[in-house]
Amino acid sequence: MNLFRSGEHIERWLAGCQPGATIPAEKLSELAHAWWEDRLSPDWRPQTRDGNQAILDRLGLTGDFWRLPGS
Amino acid sequence: MNEDDLALRNLTYARFVDLGRAPTAAEVAVAGGRDRAEVTAGWERLHAEHALVLDLATGGIRMANPFSGVPTAHRVYAAGRWWYGNCAWDAFGICAALHADGRIETYCPDCGLSMQITVRDQRPDDARLLFHCLIPAARWWDDIVFT
Repeated sequence: MNLFRSGEHIERWLAGCQPGATIPAEKLSELAHAWWEDRLSPDWRPQTRDGNQAILDRLGLTGDFWRLPGS
Repeated sequence: MNEDDLALRNLTYARFVDLGRAPTAAEVAVAGGRDRAEVTAGWERLHAEHALVLDLATGGIRMANPFSGVPTAHRVYAAGRWWYGNCAWDAFGICAALHADGRIETYCPDCGLSMQITVRDQRPDDARLLFHCLIPAARWWDDIVFT
């Protein structure tokens, strides 16, 4: 899970291997804030699979690649 | 997760943030008025539930996501100190968890050039950068350190 300077850099780094998923840094920041923002709260409770999937879905991260196990 | 393990998890995270690094089991034991063995047993249960990740060789904390217990290529300056994220996602996650703006320092895995990203009001200052996730979500926890 890395940041790259551009799509060309990703393609070269993959060197012909099967790509995963690519999203803009701005979307990544949205995802990170939705995913981690409660992590230090004293009211934190374990995330549920469905709750995490809802975060991905809400951000448009849909399809098989973004499907968490257990569905 | 029972209430006792939840309390141990929250205490462990709180000590991580207070210290700016992964606490040892002894440090958490002192902070929580517990035996060290209780802490390590609790950490093992939390590890099994993916609430934190242990270094299986040492029993110490490898990840208290989004924080890394070991140095990585994803450094973050936020809330007045430096942290390590486990990956690029977690680097942003450190700003999120601390509810702080921050500066991420990493490098492009392809060309090796360093990159500095400022995160202000939850937005990165360089919209050209791309995040690549190699492993599908269904397999993230097969090997979370590799993921």
